[in-house]
Amino acid sequence: MPFYTLLIKYREIGLIAIIALLIALVSLRNPLFLTGDKMLFIVEDTAVLAVLATGMMCVLLVGSIDISIGGIMALSAMVTGIFMRNALSAAEVEVLVDGVRTVATVKQSIPLLWLILIGMGVGALCGVVNGSIIAYGKVLPIVTTLGMQYILYGVTHIVSSAQAVYKKDMSEAFVNFTRSEFLGINAKTWIMLAVAVIMYAFVTYFRTGRHLYAVGSNAEAAEMRGVNTRRTTLLAHVIMGAVAGLAGLLFASHDTKITQDLKSGYELYVIAACVIGGVSVTGGAGRIQGVLLGALTIGVINNGLPMMRLTGEAEFWKKLIQGGLILIAVVSNVLMQRAMVRQNLRRRNI
Amino acid sequence: MHRAKRFFLRWEWLLVLLILGVFAFFSWKMPGSYTFPKLLDQTRVYMVDVGFMALGAMLILILGDIDISVASTAALSVTAMSVAYSAGSGMPFGAALALALAVGILCGWINGYLVTRFKELFPMIITLSTQTIYRGIAYIILKDQSAGSFPQWFAKGLGYGKIGSVPVMLLCVLVMFPVFYVWLHRTASGRRIFATGTNIVTARYSGLRTDRTKVILFTLNGLLAAVGGIFLASRTGSVKYTIGTGYEMQAIGIAVLGGASTAGGKGSVVGVLLSLVLMTCLKNGLMIAYNDSFILNLSIGVLLISVVLFPNIANMIQKRRQLRKRRVESAANL
Repeated sequence: MPFYTLLIKYREIGLIAIIALLIALVSLRNPLFLTGDKMLFIVEDTAVLAVLATGMMCVLLVGSIDISIGGIMALSAMVTGIFMRNALSAAEVEVLVDGVRTVATVKQSIPLLWLILIGMGVGALCGVVNGSIIAYGKVLPIVTTLGMQYILYGVTHIVSSAQAVYKKDMSEAFVNFTRSEFLGINAKTWIMLAVAVIMYAFVTYFRTGRHLYAVGSNAEAAEMRGVNTRRTTLLAHVIMGAVAGLAGLLFASHDTKITQDLKSGYELYVIAACVIGGVSVTGGAGRIQGVLLGALTIGVINNGLPMMRLTGEAEFWKKLIQGGLILIAVVSNVLMQRAMVRQNLRRRNI
Repeated sequence: MHRAKRFFLRWEWLLVLLILGVFAFFSWKMPGSYTFPKLLDQTRVYMVDVGFMALGAMLILILGDIDISVASTAALSVTAMSVAYSAGSGMPFGAALALALAVGILCGWINGYLVTRFKELFPMIITLSTQTIYRGIAYIILKDQSAGSFPQWFAKGLGYGKIGSVPVMLLCVLVMFPVFYVWLHRTASGRRIFATGTNIVTARYSGLRTDRTKVILFTLNGLLAAVGGIFLASRTGSVKYTIGTGYEMQAIGIAVLGGASTAGGKGSVVGVLLSLVLMTCLKNGLMIAYNDSFILNLSIGVLLISVVLFPNIANMIQKRRQLRKRRVESAANL
């Protein structure tokens, strides 16, 4: 198979090349960058972004957008945190320390699984509100979610009565949630893999998942084929909400602190990850593989810059480089696509 | 009769009603502390800094695009201004002001160029990255310090000065709005902008230079952002690279409240002016009553959604009723 047909079929190859180039650039300056541990850490650090990006992909697929995920994350983490704080109790547990049985006090609260369900439930509820206003109220997605962003941060503030949830309010299990490892790989990475696999299966093999693409590429045609476009849009937002709820908990557990402005401004990174990964903002096109790689690109940029050993004056260049690299990644993706289309046309002698 | 009916069914009347409602509510709740002179004083916050950016945001929304880099553009241009003036390079303040405007124009032009050259990319993504880039440059110039020490007249005259009891800043805005109204709603070039936003393909086939229109409007948007930034700097008195963070979303929110739609082709200068007045009334009242920016944001969010949602629902109910009526009629005819 010629190389360009391979490129057309798997357009993620271009993205992999960009990531490889970035890694090469950073490791030229700092050989410590290209180590297994560091690479694993980058994946772990990007995991939550990738989880959010898969949810955002669903929303973008139906031709909608969600810029209220910062608010959703803050609200669901805060509600979960308050439940956890109210049910907090000290329990005495026997543990083995150096082979000697000792009694230790461990902070216990609602079981972790329930906490996750609460967080995802609150997130999904926010998604229902977003989705119904967009799908049934016919309000434009940017307007709705911009308004919801304001509302959700306000509600978080009211719910929390202006008090943050600190580490002392968290149960041991919740704090250890993002610190535990399985087969030497962090729990966040496993969660990302699980979410990615579920999402991949959903949008590839399930009828409802395929409907997301149908609604996004041509809503009218989908409606005529008997797809309930409004319900599909609602569903996409509910998925986004639930995923944002999960991500909020992951951030809360990682930072061991839940504030009322948790991760404000993060939505733009998530959208950037999707767009770099080849998801069309007008709907109907996008793949999980691309989204994961898009998130990874941003992760490599964020983690690579501190490793560049920029000191003194150069320290202040980070922000500029970050923005510039996103622009370069997006634009080079477009240029590559154009070249592919041209190549395609030439091959067919048009 | 029909024309009169259409005149009163316009979006702007809803905003007028809301303004009256908000004003009545707060003067009833807090008699004495919520008065017109105090409101006039408050206008500097919303109507000026955000006002210019909201006008720009509306122009871009009419095109069907979106620009989230305006606050960064403002930050970069006032950074350039303050550094050029206070670095001791001997640049007169007038020249520094001109430099700020030039930087704003350049930033806007870059946005416009990128948007028209890479049509596959959603403007939101382009302006998202330029947002980071512009603020990044401001960060490189200023580091984490602040620059200031502007001439006396800049803060005293422009920022806090008054003519009679009307702030100078407000007068500047009140001059701007009629100019924009005439240009956008009463001239051919204004109609061309609406045509481009309503259907870009038809507009191009009708012989409009749509790309040029876009680049010009993005450039103008950058200029407006710089003007807004200058007014903001005259009020704060010093400039940090974080100046105006989050203003872009407020500007877009106000433009949408004023009747613009992210789908393009809709927007009104009067609407933006009214929604600025509404915001000023609301913000002033809520700050006195609760002194809490989160409550303020919450009510802005509710307002933003409900103002678009309720007319939509009313419209849908009306349509359904008409449909049912027609069905009944056709059944009777059979």
